[in-house]
Amino acid sequence: MSQPQQATVRNRLLKALPPADFALLQPHLELIATELRLPLIKPNEQVKQLYFPESGFSSITTSGSDGRVEIGIIGREGLVGAIPLLLGSDRTPHDHFVQSPGEMLAIGTEALCAALDRSASLHKLLLRFAQVQHVQTAQTAFVNATYQIEVRLARWLLMCHDRLDGDELRLTHDFLSMMLGVQRSSATLAVQALEGHRLIKALRGRLTILNRDAMVALADDGYGLPEAEYARLIEGA
Amino acid sequence: MPRFFFNVRHRPGPAGLAEDHEGEELEDVAAAREHALSEARAMIERDQLVTVRNWMDCSFEITDEAGQHVLTVPFSGTVPEEANEERGTAILA
Repeated sequence: MSQPQQATVRNRLLKALPPADFALLQPHLELIATELRLPLIKPNEQVKQLYFPESGFSSITTSGSDGRVEIGIIGREGLVGAIPLLLGSDRTPHDHFVQSPGEMLAIGTEALCAALDRSASLHKLLLRFAQVQHVQTAQTAFVNATYQIEVRLARWLLMCHDRLDGDELRLTHDFLSMMLGVQRSSATLAVQALEGHRLIKALRGRLTILNRDAMVALADDGYGLPEAEYARLIEGA
Repeated sequence: MPRFFFNVRHRPGPAGLAEDHEGEELEDVAAAREHALSEARAMIERDQLVTVRNWMDCSFEITDEAGQHVLTVPFSGTVPEEANEERGTAILA
């Protein structure tokens, strides 16, 4: 199979790399199909591969006795596994799995580490992504502590929308309740509230974003901080 | 097992009913009632919505697979759960 070319990859980190850094990674990138719920990195197990999403996205969750709650999302702006590896750990207590199916470019941990040893600029860019990911996780804590469920739903849908092609998201309220850390019926109430204001259209198992601007207004300070950090640090906006 | 749908009534009128299209599989009507009470209790304890000012005004309007009304369970029918030791809250009881 042909190797991925920097001109045609969709992952924004890979696009942002200097061509020499992309060339270091290129022979080791393997395009894989990522179906819904596919485990990418399991909690407390050695990270053997990292993933640059090309389409679709992954969810990072933490688990307690009451179930799991989402703490972050990584799509084509990022690298799944960057945080533990770049910060000097070979594993993480958090679960990483595919939340929206698509394709990802997988790279072995050893190949990535070898490239990091050879290129300070590659290392710096990926560390900057780790910083953005840290800001996103902190933002999740802020939003969960500060905002009511409709606002948290709006923020979450915007984050999904940023990482999707098109306006439609496939998900059940059962799954949504896990992502927001709320009861299933509370998720149903929040979906109905946004639908009542024509921000979204919800059908069984599917949800379409109708009015992104209104959703950004509703999400208020809950949305935008990690996105601005990404623009500043990665894409030099 | 039959599937029950837990629609939430939060104010009068058609816009005041959040319809459950997914439902839960439960043994019988008694189990559906228990599930509704437990869900309501957790919502009262932990969940806050802009559109629901007072959980005590809410009720579950439970329907079956044919869409027929089975049971109404008002949130006011819940009693606070005994402190749950697994969650560590027994310390505060």
